[in-house]
Amino acid sequence: MALVPGKRTVPARPRSSIANDFAAVENQLMTKVLLIEDDSETAEEITAELADRGFEVEWSANGIEGLDKARSSQPDAMIVDRLLPGMDGLTIIEALRKDQVRTPVLVLSALAAVDDRVRGLRMGGDDYLTKPFAIVELVARVEALLRRPAETRETTLRVGPLELDLIERTARRGDRVIDLLPREFRLLEYMMQRSDQLLTRAMLLEEVWNYKFVPATNLVDVHMGRLRHKVDGPDDAPMIHNVRGAGFILRAAS
Amino acid sequence: MRQPQFIRSNTFRWAFMVAGVLAIFVTVLFGFIYWNIDDYLTARSDRVITVELDGIAGLSPERRLEAIDERQRQDPRGVQLAAIFAADGHRMTGNIESLPPNLLIDAPAQGVDVVRTDRKGREHQNVRAIARRMRNGDVLVLGRDVDEAMEISHVVGEALLLGLLPAFLLCLLAGAWLSVRAQRRVEDVNQRVQRIIAGDLRERLPHRNVDEPFSRLAAIVNGMLDEMEAMIHALAGVGNDIAHDLRTPLTRARLALERGRTNAATLEQLQAVADKAIAGIDQSLTIITALLRLAEIENSRRSAGFGCVALHEMVQEVCDIYEPIAENKEIALNVQVTHQLTVRGDRDLLIEAVANLVDNAIKFTPEGGKVDIELLRGDSETIVRVTDTGCGIREQERDAVLRRFYRSDKIRNAPGVGLGLSLVAAIVKLHGFRLAISPGPGCRVEIICPDRVDGVKELARLAKGRPAS
Repeated sequence: MALVPGKRTVPARPRSSIANDFAAVENQLMTKVLLIEDDSETAEEITAELADRGFEVEWSANGIEGLDKARSSQPDAMIVDRLLPGMDGLTIIEALRKDQVRTPVLVLSALAAVDDRVRGLRMGGDDYLTKPFAIVELVARVEALLRRPAETRETTLRVGPLELDLIERTARRGDRVIDLLPREFRLLEYMMQRSDQLLTRAMLLEEVWNYKFVPATNLVDVHMGRLRHKVDGPDDAPMIHNVRGAGFILRAAS
Repeated sequence: MRQPQFIRSNTFRWAFMVAGVLAIFVTVLFGFIYWNIDDYLTARSDRVITVELDGIAGLSPERRLEAIDERQRQDPRGVQLAAIFAADGHRMTGNIESLPPNLLIDAPAQGVDVVRTDRKGREHQNVRAIARRMRNGDVLVLGRDVDEAMEISHVVGEALLLGLLPAFLLCLLAGAWLSVRAQRRVEDVNQRVQRIIAGDLRERLPHRNVDEPFSRLAAIVNGMLDEMEAMIHALAGVGNDIAHDLRTPLTRARLALERGRTNAATLEQLQAVADKAIAGIDQSLTIITALLRLAEIENSRRSAGFGCVALHEMVQEVCDIYEPIAENKEIALNVQVTHQLTVRGDRDLLIEAVANLVDNAIKFTPEGGKVDIELLRGDSETIVRVTDTGCGIREQERDAVLRRFYRSDKIRNAPGVGLGLSLVAAIVKLHGFRLAISPGPGCRVEIICPDRVDGVKELARLAKGRPAS
């Protein structure tokens, strides 16, 4: 049967197990996330979702208290709203960065303009998410911040049977050589550096294609469909998974 | 006590100052003329009495007395003074009561106070006088009352009164009039502006067809008001469109939720309902995002952030991204680049514009069709052209497609929010480029980037510089 791009999904499983797909490692470590957000309903939803996925969440509703907590409790990652009572979100990040605190920060904002985004990232934010957002998008980005690929001198990436030679620009799965176009190579490289992580469409657009806008057509799905067609042969166990309504995961076939 | 408003106005103050300066200037001028004439008259009468004195001094003492008497007889105006004093100081003849104590003898003519005494009586006078001691010890004194100087000063004073004062008053009057007139017009404008603020968008400022600053200003403001009125009407239209386009998916979401709440029995059914609702909300959010983006681009003053954009690379990149999508639809997507061309602009925005055009072209081209992206060099302009073999855009719809939310009836059923081309148009406008839509095999959209003048100069400079180096 031919693969229809964008249609194949992870076999239906209860919701908690989807969460486990990309929160497995953190579950054991109890990663601490500090959330600074003044809207209590939004904060509640975020806290609940992150707690479901095994994070320990600390919540602060205003900027000054948030900055204190960021300094005292040393979280592993922070989610900071831009517009806060008491202190601007960016001011908090600036203050922390001045103290040489390198905790990764995801900036949340209702300001969607490109300039705001650029400013948010320049002030020391590591990622920027515009409200309103899908909760999976937020979780995926927090995960991505926590598991940023280490700077490595490895010239070969390996995930399960998949092997990518960054110098020769070749890819193979087991003994089978995969013939990739440059754009497909770039996409696979990005995914292999972040295996077992949920990568949302927006993340892929921003990072792989350097797109600053969301195109009308489902570009990512089409590209992913092609890549998957090449990576997962008809007889292979699938490695690229579509998480419905969220994005994609590359996982070693079990 | 309140000063009338026109006195406080700037126009009046200026008029007052100009009048004041004029008055000072005229007074100084008159003074200068007066002093010069006075000097001239004094010098002349000095010469006259000196010559007379020489004449009389040359006579014998007896003849001198006669000459003095003779001189007084021939002076009906009584301006001549003359006397001979003996060595002991008593007056031998003449109409000067006594030898003035501070009159220098044997000196040139000088101004001195004397007491004149004759048949008419006794009188203190300030005159020009000259005195000389004769060989026999007598002192001969001749004098002249320079009364013309007084008359001249009278004339000058009268001239000042008759000329300067009316001129000064006229200045003030003109200032007051101008000031009142300006104020009336300002008040008129103010009232009309108040009406505009109150919401009467058709109100305009008064202006006459004369080349006068105030009228020109009014004409300029009226032009601005015309533009704004058109914009506000357009905006109101857009507002309606937005409301409509947002309501549709929201209504769908609401219906799904409402029905799901009553009808869904299992978790799966509930999830399906939730998915439907989320899809509806997501579409509304997509519209809002697109609108905000449009507003951001339209209000952008970001030309400072422009850089050199290599269009040949950009076009290739867009093609690269859309190739698989075109392939899925069995559409042949081709790029034709004849030159390596660059323009000044924002790379991200230009990619967005071209990607939007290609996206549209693929969307509206039926399977088996063809989409071409071309990069051409026109007559001092660079052209990015996207041609498809789709249904095309009808002539009468060509302006409309650039409008927000416009969706041709032919494509009512295609997915999308109808903002793509507006976005392209906004980006193109921000760059100072042009968007041209013409019929190709299907539709042909061109982004025309005219060469910048200084860019051409730069090229010319480089070309000139080359042989030298």
